[in-house]
Amino acid sequence: MNKAIIEVNGLAAGYVKGLNILQGIDLVIKENEIISIIGPNGAGKSTLLKAIMGLIPISGGRLYISGNELTNFKSHELIKKGIGYVPQVANVFPSLTIEENLEIGLWTKTKNSKEGKKEIFEMFPILSEKKREKAGNLSGGQRQLLALGRALITKPDVLLLDEPSAGLSPIAIDEVFKSISEINNKGVSILLVEQNAKRALTFCDRGYVLDQGKNSYTGTGRDLLDDPNVIDLYLGKL
Amino acid sequence: MIEQLGNGLLLGLIVAIASVSLSLLYGVTRIVNFAHGEIIALGAVLTLFFSSSPESSFLYLDRFSPLGSSFIVSSIASILLCGLFGALLELCLFRPLRKNNYGNVAVLVITIGLSIFLRHIFLLFASAKPASYALDLQKREDYFGIQLTPRNVQVLIIGSVVMILVGLFLTYTKTGRAMRAVRDSSELASVSGINSDYIITLTWIFSSMLAGFTGIIQGVINNVRWNMGFLILLLIFAGSILGGIGTSFGAMFGGFIIGMLVQLSVGLSFMDGHTEAKNAIALALMILILLIRPQGIFGSKERIS
Ligand SMILES: Nc1ncnc2c1ncn2[C@@H]1O[C@H](COP(=O)(O)OP(=O)(O)OP(=O)(O)O)[C@@H](O)[C@H]1O
Ligand SMILES: [Mg+2]
Repeated sequence: MNKAIIEVNGLAAGYVKGLNILQGIDLVIKENEIISIIGPNGAGKSTLLKAIMGLIPISGGRLYISGNELTNFKSHELIKKGIGYVPQVANVFPSLTIEENLEIGLWTKTKNSKEGKKEIFEMFPILSEKKREKAGNLSGGQRQLLALGRALITKPDVLLLDEPSAGLSPIAIDEVFKSISEINNKGVSILLVEQNAKRALTFCDRGYVLDQGKNSYTGTGRDLLDDPNVIDLYLGKL
Repeated sequence: MIEQLGNGLLLGLIVAIASVSLSLLYGVTRIVNFAHGEIIALGAVLTLFFSSSPESSFLYLDRFSPLGSSFIVSSIASILLCGLFGALLELCLFRPLRKNNYGNVAVLVITIGLSIFLRHIFLLFASAKPASYALDLQKREDYFGIQLTPRNVQVLIIGSVVMILVGLFLTYTKTGRAMRAVRDSSELASVSGINSDYIITLTWIFSSMLAGFTGIIQGVINNVRWNMGFLILLLIFAGSILGGIGTSFGAMFGGFIIGMLVQLSVGLSFMDGHTEAKNAIALALMILILLIRPQGIFGSKERIS
């Protein structure tokens, strides 16, 4: 049995005091797993990632990372515990160059910063070519790769990705998924929030379906794809 | 107009440095700080207090007679104290406000209140009369056709060096880079491992020290007054907006242009006897440019919001 890297029990959180968007979420991500979260617009998928990342206060339930309780820790402290996060929007620093974006990811690390950059540039050669350009000038797909690189450079144990394929061309989407699977092969667990439910469920080990701030279904990707309720509610239109 | 060139360079430099400090603070904290002028004045007033001879009586209250320290030592001490003051503002006032999610307008009104409060504290302690530092008087000389005193030239050189150092700091140091990152998005900076609160505090310190420095050189060139920061604040806002809010280089450039134009317009013939109106022309020009380019000269479109 692989050990849990992130464990969330009965998590409640929201943007305004007394108004919880998430109402008791349970979730486990184990070593080396790819987990995907699907659900309709406004279900609270992004909110869940923000709550885990300490960007909004957790008002109920607990968050464990590698067995330690870290409920309501600050974002910059959670990063040091081995989490990497790529937000859904605004996931690069537009006025900084590509290289500077990566260096920001290295803020917590003092040693081996050259090494870290080199590895990212090897993984994404396009970033190396454009390293002196402003991130604001990149195409959507390149931005997404840079955001991945920035999150990866701290060598996290788990990577939380919020709709990394949104708004990208089919070719760019394939490239992003290919990168995610390479990252996973290196031993990084992945928590993937996706609009494209079918693709996400085919890609992942296990999936969670979120609806109105609650877990509604969970199981292996295969089971969810075949579950008539899930098909009816979330896959039918695809 | 040419006889105003020297003064134009000096005012341009002052407004440029002040605009950089104001726009950096705005970029990182999103606070439109009306009290920035008072931090400028604080630098000048403190330097006056440290450097004036103990017998001079510019201070309102007898208990606080000046210290008579050397001008350089006084300036350095004042700049450090301005930094400390900025840190206190962040820790005791603006951080608690931020944690309670006060709206931008509420914070804006608070900075206006703070500005009025501080200005009148200066009035209480330092009297309403303009005062000068205990520096010897110098005659203007001709430098490449520009009329300046030797001390003015020193100010121009030191000011330019400071500006270059600020540029290098923001571009090449780890902390400068983190400030720019928080300016782009404090949330993304936090989830990249940066303690945004720490960077915001450093920005307050850095920006306030720069403001204090501006006040000192403004005091050298003109004189020290209780409301000197308030009088120049409008030009600083104009400079930052003209260059494009949120870009340090833009603020530097915009501030310089505004300061220069304000001073040069004094030399226009119809301004004879109306030098008080010197802000009019520069600000009219600012409005005109912003009508054509709302994002400012160097600003990018995505930043206007
Ligand atoms: N910054 C915010 N302040 C207040 N409410 C918010 C904020 N962001 C999102 N919400 C609300 O929280 C709920 C969940 O939003 P969330 O962004 O988590 O949904 P999502 O599942 O990620 O949807 P999508 O698929 O569109 O990204 C929605 O009702 C939304 O209106
Ligand atoms: Mg979302």
